Amino acid sequence: MFKFFSSTNIYILIEKLIKFINSIFFLILVIGLTFALVLSPLDHLQGDAVRIMYVHVPSAWIGLACFSLITLLSVLNFIFKIKIFYFINKSIAPIGLLFTCLAIVTGSLWGQPTWGTWWAWDARLTSMIVLMLFYVLYILTFKILNKEELIIKVSSIIAIIGSINLPIIKYSVEWWSTLHQPASIKITGSSSIHSEMMLPLMVMLVVFLLYAALIFLMKYKTEIIRIKKKNIKRN
Amino acid sequence: MISNFITMGGYGLYVWLSFSIVLISCAVVYIKTKKTLKKYEQEFLTELQALTLEKRNKALENSQVVRQILATNSKVN
Repeated sequence: MFKFFSSTNIYILIEKLIKFINSIFFLILVIGLTFALVLSPLDHLQGDAVRIMYVHVPSAWIGLACFSLITLLSVLNFIFKIKIFYFINKSIAPIGLLFTCLAIVTGSLWGQPTWGTWWAWDARLTSMIVLMLFYVLYILTFKILNKEELIIKVSSIIAIIGSINLPIIKYSVEWWSTLHQPASIKITGSSSIHSEMMLPLMVMLVVFLLYAALIFLMKYKTEIIRIKKKNIKRN
Repeated sequence: MISNFITMGGYGLYVWLSFSIVLISCAVVYIKTKKTLKKYEQEFLTELQALTLEKRNKALENSQVVRQILATNSKVN
């Protein structure tokens, strides 16, 4: 399985995947935006402000998912010393940071009309800021440190410590009394969101996932070229 | 109807600003990532061209990825 991710096998596949995503992305984006801005129903309390959910929620989910994946791969890299995971993590981190920042900004823009404030230092919002800071620290290790061995060690430690924050983000709305509403969508158990809102949300999630995949593939391809460039110089 | 769509029931500023920030940020990151990729591809090709014929052939023989990068870029160019 690890051989599948090796640069030799994956370069052509990356090229094909980038072309495929590029060819369908615009169409799915238009469908997603039409659902989110036109077709989805109004909320009986929030009115049109609920439409912010279609960019806020997928951003937050991807921000969390990226850090979870980084932590998992960091642990595996720490134990099994599989270098490919280091390059995958390096490519994922900026995507996670982008979506975490977008979740915070769109959340703030959603907070003003619904809560009457741009910001509150409540558990969910504060833990999201902490996640953003861990992303910044994680990315800084690649920029500041020079030795690859040291980067792997330091970035893995940051990811493992940062992962403590992930369950805090998830359960903050249940553990503490917060301005942020509890989760409406549950993987286990019934969701409280109406299907007419769930569909646009899922379409927008697909749009965001495709975008994240596209950026990841381009960044991973850049990493492959960087390695080959180094090898050529050495020879 | 169009005016309702623009004002979004009085929430237009928040809704449009949210969508605009997301779209613009994503577009900027996409362009920046693509630019970096192209820069590295170009630098890689320049370095490959600078090698002696013998070293270049050796690099091409030894690495399938080097052949693929070269093939992909000759298609683009």
